[in-house]
Amino acid sequence: MSLKLTTQAYCKMLLHAAKYPHCAVNGLLVAEKHKKKDSPRDSVLCVDCVPLFHGALALAPMLEVALTLKSRLIRPGNIFPVFNCPILIDAWCKENKYVIAGYYQANERIKEARPNQVAEKVAARISENFSEAAMIMWKCREPSTDCFEDWIEAQKITAALLESKSYESLVDFDNHLDDLRNDWTNPEINKSVLHLC
Amino acid sequence: MRDKLRKWREENFRNSEQIVDVGEELINEHASKLGDDIWIIYEQVMIAALDCSRDDLAWSCLQELKRQFPDSHRVKRLAGMRLEALESPNPLWMSTQQAARKRKISILRAQGKSSEAIRELNEYLEQFVGDQEAWHELSELYINEHDYAKAAFCLEELMMTNPHNHLYCEQYAEVKYTQGGLENLELARKYFAQALKLNNRNMRALFGLYMSASHIAASPKVSAKVKKDNVKYAAWATSQISRAYQMAGRGKKENKCSVKAVEEMLESMQITMS
Repeated sequence: MSLKLTTQAYCKMLLHAAKYPHCAVNGLLVAEKHKKKDSPRDSVLCVDCVPLFHGALALAPMLEVALTLKSRLIRPGNIFPVFNCPILIDAWCKENKYVIAGYYQANERIKEARPNQVAEKVAARISENFSEAAMIMWKCREPSTDCFEDWIEAQKITAALLESKSYESLVDFDNHLDDLRNDWTNPEINKSVLHLC
Repeated sequence: MRDKLRKWREENFRNSEQIVDVGEELINEHASKLGDDIWIIYEQVMIAALDCSRDDLAWSCLQELKRQFPDSHRVKRLAGMRLEALESPNPLWMSTQQAARKRKISILRAQGKSSEAIRELNEYLEQFVGDQEAWHELSELYINEHDYAKAAFCLEELMMTNPHNHLYCEQYAEVKYTQGGLENLELARKYFAQALKLNNRNMRALFGLYMSASHIAASPKVSAKVKKDNVKYAAWATSQISRAYQMAGRGKKENKCSVKAVEEMLESMQITMS
């Protein structure tokens, strides 16, 4: 079972890391919901990514706000079972028929690419709801071209976006919490990617 | 242009690319008009140039500073910074000056030697106990090492000296929340509330209040009264979040999703309370 990234997912991940070169960054990857529920997929295509945080990644509350709360808050005999609030990202996924399929993280130090406790916990939470979940840890090495839907296009478009400093306008979930008007779905960058395709 | 650089310097922005763009033009074309400001601009541009891997620019700024201030410790520290950026051995290692010690700690952090950086920073803080930047750096190092108890201690120091700073309150609450357990959750909720009291537009504090109150209410270990109170707090937080989104989402189609999600949150709270 292989993982593939679309140009849009790859570009936004890279722009996120480029915007905060002095910090660790992380985010989620989303895939389209599989129509046939019972048959397993041959490969997972991550169509988009949601940049989450930069800086201190190891704090729980805002990460929980970004992900769903279901599994933690339901207890047997609990008279308040309805705290299954589809917070923000999950609601967006439902509307676009996406499912959270993976997690990416780029550590503060480019040479350190081991997943830490945070990465493992998030990946475990995601795989509770999506058995074929993937984790991507950024390394300073040429990636294998198999995991791209179209590597040449991805390279070309990413180079163009880096050149034009588009990363300055990338919005992650942290930016959204600083000012709610900042849109973490990054429609402008999605348009630029589409335009360059 | 000069004013822009001054503003960025005073507010400690790390917008290195912009500083390099503006600063380089200022130095190359308007140097004669800058008077004595030029030296501080050389320093500011040099540091930004290192951040952007512009060693050519960093080198020329450094040369000008060395020529003007040949025996300055401050210039030697900048030379050390440049060597650090080029990953060369740093001759400033044994200096006892405050700023040089901080640079040494930054080097250790950049090399991934977290435990040594933490040890050095602790020693530094024994001598310079009022250095807030250092306390904050130490709290970040502890958070990265998942030593939340010690991170909380650092943030307590910061809150003591800055009781009106809502950001420290909110970060302290986040650390307590991450530590987990009923007592820490209650403390977290109180500090999120305090952060909101200091700044009622702190969204992280609002979300944090909602999350901690919800978790407490959902815990099997609390009494019915505590449950009821926390449901009330969570409901209040939800309505405030909803209001904030309504205000932010006015006239913007893209925020429709977020507004809808928060409305669903509010509905579920109302079902719970009735």
